[in-house]
Amino acid sequence: MKKYLKTAHLSASEKTNGGIIYLFPDILIKIFTLIPLVYLWRVVMSSGADAGMSLGQMLTYTYVSALLADMLVVKTAASGWLSEGVLQRLYGRPLPVLSQLAAQTVGGWLPMLALFSLPMALISPLFGVRLIPASPLFFVSLLLCVALGFAVDFLFACLSIKLRSMNWLIGRMRMAIAAIFSGTVIPIRLLPFGMAEVMKYQPFASLGGAPLSVFTGVGDAGETILLQIVWNLVLWPFALYVWKKSQEGMVSYGG
Amino acid sequence: MADKITIGRILRLLAISAKMDLVWLLRDTKYAILGIAGDMVNNVATVSGVFLIASRFGGIGGMSADEVMFMMAYSTLVTGIFIMFGAGNSIHISRIIGRGQLEHLFIQPLPLGVQLMTRGFNPFTGGGNLVVGTALMALAVNRLGLVITLWWIAQLIAYLITTMVIIIARSYLVSSMAFYAPAAAEEISSTAIDGTWFMSTFPLSGMPKYIQFPMLTILPEGLMAWFPALCLLGKPPLNLTAYYPMFFALAISLAASYIFKKGLRHYVQKGSNRYLSHGFRR
Repeated sequence: MKKYLKTAHLSASEKTNGGIIYLFPDILIKIFTLIPLVYLWRVVMSSGADAGMSLGQMLTYTYVSALLADMLVVKTAASGWLSEGVLQRLYGRPLPVLSQLAAQTVGGWLPMLALFSLPMALISPLFGVRLIPASPLFFVSLLLCVALGFAVDFLFACLSIKLRSMNWLIGRMRMAIAAIFSGTVIPIRLLPFGMAEVMKYQPFASLGGAPLSVFTGVGDAGETILLQIVWNLVLWPFALYVWKKSQEGMVSYGG
Repeated sequence: MADKITIGRILRLLAISAKMDLVWLLRDTKYAILGIAGDMVNNVATVSGVFLIASRFGGIGGMSADEVMFMMAYSTLVTGIFIMFGAGNSIHISRIIGRGQLEHLFIQPLPLGVQLMTRGFNPFTGGGNLVVGTALMALAVNRLGLVITLWWIAQLIAYLITTMVIIIARSYLVSSMAFYAPAAAEEISSTAIDGTWFMSTFPLSGMPKYIQFPMLTILPEGLMAWFPALCLLGKPPLNLTAYYPMFFALAISLAASYIFKKGLRHYVQKGSNRYLSHGFRR
């Protein structure tokens, strides 16, 4: 375990080696996205239409989504590992590659959690946001979300191997998923034209949208967690199988 | 000896880039089409989110669902133009600076600005969103019953150019940091462009003024789609002149030009040492 903690620590330090000041643009963008988004939902919900959730729940949903963004749709360095030379680094260390990636990714979350999420959580009452989970099952759901996020990420990494390292394409697909299918930006239950009923069963809905709905108490926690477990059981063996098959196809040409 | 730069020369350079893009499409059709599809799906997903919300709630902050669709169409057109001219990191300029790749441009017998203006042109593989944006715009115009005149089309083109100028100027302004801190600021243009893209699809109508004004000045995401769309609908917001985006574009361009040139002087004197002998970046 120590070696993984060390990997995570290295990853966290790597983000701040150039000085914390270089993280500020990203932090500012996150803050300046979150604040208008909170007001956007205030405006939208003030129309009086029945959304199946209260304004308070909606604001909490949006706020928590921003604070935990990295965990809700996991992104490791794997998608770019063929073109960025990450591959060479990972295979050169005496640790399993996927475990290294996981440790490295979790470590990479820490600076933003400390510099953005924590301060914003402390000032959340100023925005009228209540950051107390409706159910302790939220933590279980978050754990399952992160686990599933890694499986999905590894599948995307395998896809990038198959597609000759077309990182741009992979990145665009992931952004589309985050925007619509994961429910992290727009709660799936708010989608119109009957889309909500269909969308809640697809695997990406078990990513960010699942713990957020448990946190805010708008979803049935038992059903949400059951779906998450099912998708983990389906996608993890599949990801490991595809990963094993894909390794032979890797070609790295550095940066 | 640098070539004499004329309009004809610029068009020929654009044609060279277009030809290379076409060659990629023809020689690697499967992957090129996958790339085009990825771009289009991503943009449609981004803008459809806001539109779906507008449909679900019957509009946003006084804008009808159709007006929101018009705004999303404008945003898609901007995305389309951006992708069509932005290949090779010409607009994500901090990557070129940060990776020490400006030298690649210095050895060409063309001014830096001309190269950056023409080298990223990829109309065949990068034009997908422009097509989607045009179709969405036609649909929105039809649903809103707008009367289209030559003057209106000229205004639309002027606003699109203005929005592009703001995006590019801001990217070059913040990317100037990469002259001084190449590793740390290599991706700063991504933060300025990609990090704010989603925010630029927010309809600001109905929000308090203390949110609206900063988003038209400090962080001008309101000028990327919301303000121009309302101007084109004949409703300039906040009692501002419809020419406000043009004034803003001029101001930020002048600032970017000054700061970028200053950074470039620093770079020319100090250079960059990002590359290791075996090819990876430091």
